[in-house]
Amino acid sequence: PPRPCEAYRAEWKLCRSARHFLHHYYVHGERPACEQWRRDLASCREWEERRSAEAQRSLCESERARVQAARKHALVWALRQSPPADWHLPLPQEEKD
Amino acid sequence: AVNKERHFSCEDCDGNVSGGFDASMSQIVLCQNNIGNQAHMNRVVTHELIHAFDHCRAHVHWFTDVRHLACSEVRAANLSGDCSLVNEIFRLHFGLKQHHQTCVRDRAILSILAVRNVSKEVARKAVDEVFESCFNDHEPFGRIPHNKTYARYAHRDFQNRDRYYSNI
Repeated sequence: PPRPCEAYRAEWKLCRSARHFLHHYYVHGERPACEQWRRDLASCREWEERRSAEAQRSLCESERARVQAARKHALVWALRQSPPADWHLPLPQEEKD
Repeated sequence: AVNKERHFSCEDCDGNVSGGFDASMSQIVLCQNNIGNQAHMNRVVTHELIHAFDHCRAHVHWFTDVRHLACSEVRAANLSGDCSLVNEIFRLHFGLKQHHQTCVRDRAILSILAVRNVSKEVARKAVDEVFESCFNDHEPFGRIPHNKTYARYAHRDFQNRDRYYSNI
């Protein structure tokens, strides 16, 4: 599975915590939805214990949806292929004094 | 990679600015005369590191496109803890439902005005244009790190990324 099953349990528990409810409401103005973590936890266990193909399909689909959701907004800027040329260059001499 | 001698500088600053990112030198400036406690320090370092991260991973037109600056300021306000409920209460800004977003917008505008000679209207318009995209860009965390627990989970996901992407 993409994450150890313990990770799904931890995310589900965090999602359902009072603290998280507060943070989520403060940011989004609505209650968090935690059902998907619970479903993913069940799928993960099914996958590990019974090698269920259906559980595998369901879990991968859920994770791919998460990745898609995170990427759906067009970026404002163009990504670099490598860091800026001067990132590691020493500072100009006068800075050192 | 970040090197504390090369990429950080502690200086005295004017006004009540806490810090800044100098893109022309790839350096974070921390205002030693305006940072008074560890929590504030953590927040400023996180905020400026987000600018450094954006500078490192993207072609950010810091000086020529106010939308790019606005985007990085939205992300920094969103992800650094600047707009936590506690910090807002300390500033006497009371609000709960979705208040985080109001705070992010307002602080991004203030940050732009602090470093660029533009009108408040120009700053506000730039923030509005980029908000939807930039508010939802949670790199490198993958989530808004409200506290150490969230940060730990984000770090665990980062360490696990190879396994993750090869198994979905």
